[in-house]
Amino acid sequence: MPKPQGKKNWKNQYFEHDFRSENTRRVTFKSNKQGRFDRNHKDWTESIRAHLADEDIDMGNTNMKNIPNKKFMKKYRSDSPMPHMKGNFKRKLLEGPIGWYRVTLPYGNKYDKQYILKTFLDKLNPLPFQPITWQVNGNACTFYVDDYKVAEKLNNMDKDIQLPDGYRLLIKVSTGCPTVDVNAAMKEKMKLAMVKRYSSITKALDLTRFHADPDLTLLFCALFKPIILLAVIDIIAENIPDIEAINLSENKIQMLSHLKRLANKLPKLKVLHLGNNKIRDVAHLDSLMGLNIVDLVLDGNPLCDKFKDQPTYISEVRKRFPKVMKLDGTDLPPPISFDISEEVSIPQSQQTFLCTAEGQSIVRQFLEQYFQIMDSDNRQPLLNAYHENAILSMTMCYPYGQHQKNSSWLNWYGTDNRNLLRVSDSERRYKLLKQGQLSIASFLQEMPRTKHDIHSFTVDLNLFTPQMLLLSVSGMFKELNSGHKTAPLRYFFRTLVIVPAGSGFCIVNEEVHITNATDEQAKQAFKTPVVLAPVPPAAVPDIVAPAAAAPNDEVKAQMVQAMAQQSGMNATWSEKCLAESEWDFQRALFVFSQLQEKGVIPPEANKFYIILPKYSAGSFR
Amino acid sequence: MDKVLRGRVDQACRTAEEFTKLYYESVDKRRHLISRLYLENALLTWNGNGISTSEKIQKFYIDLPSSDHSIITLDSQPILDSAVNGQLTFLIQVSGNVKYQDKIPKSFQQNFVITAQGDKWKIVNDCFRLQEPLNVSEPK
Repeated sequence: MPKPQGKKNWKNQYFEHDFRSENTRRVTFKSNKQGRFDRNHKDWTESIRAHLADEDIDMGNTNMKNIPNKKFMKKYRSDSPMPHMKGNFKRKLLEGPIGWYRVTLPYGNKYDKQYILKTFLDKLNPLPFQPITWQVNGNACTFYVDDYKVAEKLNNMDKDIQLPDGYRLLIKVSTGCPTVDVNAAMKEKMKLAMVKRYSSITKALDLTRFHADPDLTLLFCALFKPIILLAVIDIIAENIPDIEAINLSENKIQMLSHLKRLANKLPKLKVLHLGNNKIRDVAHLDSLMGLNIVDLVLDGNPLCDKFKDQPTYISEVRKRFPKVMKLDGTDLPPPISFDISEEVSIPQSQQTFLCTAEGQSIVRQFLEQYFQIMDSDNRQPLLNAYHENAILSMTMCYPYGQHQKNSSWLNWYGTDNRNLLRVSDSERRYKLLKQGQLSIASFLQEMPRTKHDIHSFTVDLNLFTPQMLLLSVSGMFKELNSGHKTAPLRYFFRTLVIVPAGSGFCIVNEEVHITNATDEQAKQAFKTPVVLAPVPPAAVPDIVAPAAAAPNDEVKAQMVQAMAQQSGMNATWSEKCLAESEWDFQRALFVFSQLQEKGVIPPEANKFYIILPKYSAGSFR
Repeated sequence: MDKVLRGRVDQACRTAEEFTKLYYESVDKRRHLISRLYLENALLTWNGNGISTSEKIQKFYIDLPSSDHSIITLDSQPILDSAVNGQLTFLIQVSGNVKYQDKIPKSFQQNFVITAQGDKWKIVNDCFRLQEPLNVSEPK
């Protein structure tokens, strides 16, 4: 008795050799009657099994499916040629839960694709026929259809079509879909298909039956797959964030739980059509809450059948989207609500606040000078920005929605984090204060290198009296050279208490808070081109020709700034020094170093001073 | 001197803990009493909008959508005497999340200058900033 080939995978079998030409019958001692009965029995079991096996959506491996069949294949030898199959019995195709069907033509690749397509098109008429993801594997070809009726009819056509070479076309249909992975090339193709479907006038994107887009039929761009839908949403958020309408009808969408951040990503979305999908329960829409949907279509989803009456349906929808005025194409009466002025808006924010306009130039100069040094290689000059008994402390945390694992780690700032909610020991609370200008300067020097985006700064000058200034500054900066792959974008919030000292100012108290920039902030970071600070002239001593003519004021200003940076002197003294050296930068530097050696640089020249207008008494609040 | 400062640092920390608890409870639940926490000529700077006098601050808060604050970090220091002429004054800085009505929470940072007025702590200055992108249309 020949050994049955139960283990063999039929797909591979077709791949290796065309078994149709092997007409050798196998001898069987079983009676015809018995065999027929068994076959009936078998076909029924197999279809159930096939169906159950296909319930597993991401089942790309057909081997798995055939293993459970092994046992009764042996028993009934289902892969023997079965010469007496005259009744042409066909396995019934059951409707699958995901709505996708895999069609395999075991020898399909032996024939012209166009010929097969045309034959199917004719035979299926008037049903529309559109194969998705046509793939070839040896002799076999596979494709997918999204319509049960088409799949059923194809299933029934098994061995019905007479091919030009005399064989009948084998057609195997089962429920299922391929596993997909989104790569850059695929995203690019999806993007192109979306461009075609977008109307910039109405700000609407029509993604109806996206998988059937003629440009995408070779890919499996089915939006019921979360990975594909997320990729689509990302493309929208990146390119058309102000989109107002999306039509996602007829895409077999079941799950929406992965769209939780849609309200953040597409804040202007008002029209959402989800008709003829497979959303089973109205609770699935919870993940879309927060969207200001005005026009919603849900018709054709299983969830609609669960409602006994229209009012319950409407109220369940409005619970989630209170602003819906049009549901399934019908205008709804406006909801009756209580008269509590619910749309109280938050006052618009202002980038700067100055308790007195007089403070503006001082604050601006102070901050420019401070952050220029902060962003330079050497932060030592900041020593002079602090009072000898100054106090500085720092806290850090992640912004809302971010944590250690999903954002760039704020590791450096953890050690000195003086968060009183976490640090309860009074000894430690005291030790975490940086006291005195030396310890502050060395702490600032240790902090990761930075590049601040001065255009992102907000400035609040809250107090401006002859005794003190209270200043709050926030803004974004890039953290450089701290071992991250890409420079992390941080956000700081600093509060400074500043007192006049000599002819300038210095900081007596400072509290620094460091966090990450939010995604929304990141979009605006470093957008305005920063006016670059003048590059200090090269320090290479060279033979300097006597200055032909005195430089103009602009050049002078740059020189003063460069001088101040290199010498650590304030602007007034830098200017003085340059003027005395007839605006020869190298000479001025030389003079400076000579004077410094002799120790004749007055202390106030070395302070972090800025030119300041004289106080006019009584002008402060 | 060191001992004096230590004592003040301790006091600043304890006062800050007590103060922030009271302050955010008032903002979230008892806004009609918030003016009591401020000096009469105090200044609130709310996202760059300045509001001064405790009366106007109270009105501002009553008009603001209902809020729910949660605090994540807290820091506090005594302000050096040279700045405040020996008047006991603390600088407090807070960060956390705030939710207005049922909107999605946002991060915020805030600082206070509080000073001892008789046997009561009063806010001299309150500066609040939401952590959000700047308004694009804003610079005028």
